[in-house]
Amino acid sequence: MPTIFVLDVPEFLPLVEHAREVTHLKVSGPRLGYYRVDGEGEIKLNRKALGFKPAVWHGALTGGLVGRVTSFDNDELVIRAETAP
Amino acid sequence: MTPKPGLPLVGVHHTARPTWKLAETVHFYRDLLGLPLVHAISARGWGPEDHADFLHFFFDSGTGSTIAFFYYIGTEPPEFAAVRDDYRYRATHTAWRVETREDLLACRAKVEAAGIKLNYQIRHEVIESIYFNDPNGYALEITWQVRPFTEIDIADANRTLEAGIALENASRAGQTPFTSIDEVWRNKGERLAADLEVQ
Repeated sequence: MPTIFVLDVPEFLPLVEHAREVTHLKVSGPRLGYYRVDGEGEIKLNRKALGFKPAVWHGALTGGLVGRVTSFDNDELVIRAETAP
Repeated sequence: MTPKPGLPLVGVHHTARPTWKLAETVHFYRDLLGLPLVHAISARGWGPEDHADFLHFFFDSGTGSTIAFFYYIGTEPPEFAAVRDDYRYRATHTAWRVETREDLLACRAKVEAAGIKLNYQIRHEVIESIYFNDPNGYALEITWQVRPFTEIDIADANRTLEAGIALENASRAGQTPFTSIDEVWRNKGERLAADLEVQ
């Protein structure tokens, strides 16, 4: 199960709010200043759906992650578990 | 909040860079941007090196800060001072602070009205900035900070840099090359997950 940590600051909260709306994503926290977003299968994010400007989008994973980024372009990113294909 | 500094600093007095365009530099900062010329030194070259005679002059950039230049008389720019169209060159830049977004937009209007080419206006994580160049090719930024830094930012910055330094150390030791930001995110995430386990 891939995980991303989202810093509990205003500029990243749209990501947390989005994750709360997605059934296969589970949000917990914040603890130690981070929300934890766990994904069933994969975590797929879309820049426009988050309302992120490019600079924030390209740093959207700055809180850290467990898993691996399998794609990341100007509008979409996918994180899968380390062992996933 | 601001971390307690180890040095009793109260901000920037000046930053300084060399110029070989005296008239253009004074016109740009004093006349176009309206930064008062507040101090100028004119001196014979002195010191241990073969130092050219020089002018050293300062423009007021607010709250006691200045931006300063050296003009080395009778010299040509050395190769290392040549302007390059490269993000690594532009990494060296001056960013001035304004208080509000309205002030930032007023700066943008003034810059554009003065005929200065605006390169970008970018919203970052906690700042929004405009970017332009001076006649020397030096990168200038004017920015406003949307919110103050908090303990959360401070702790996060330290986690990010701990991960980066660990990866740099591993790379220097010839263990694993440090090639992408993904490695920072993963290293940081693993450490954070471990810290949350023991909480």
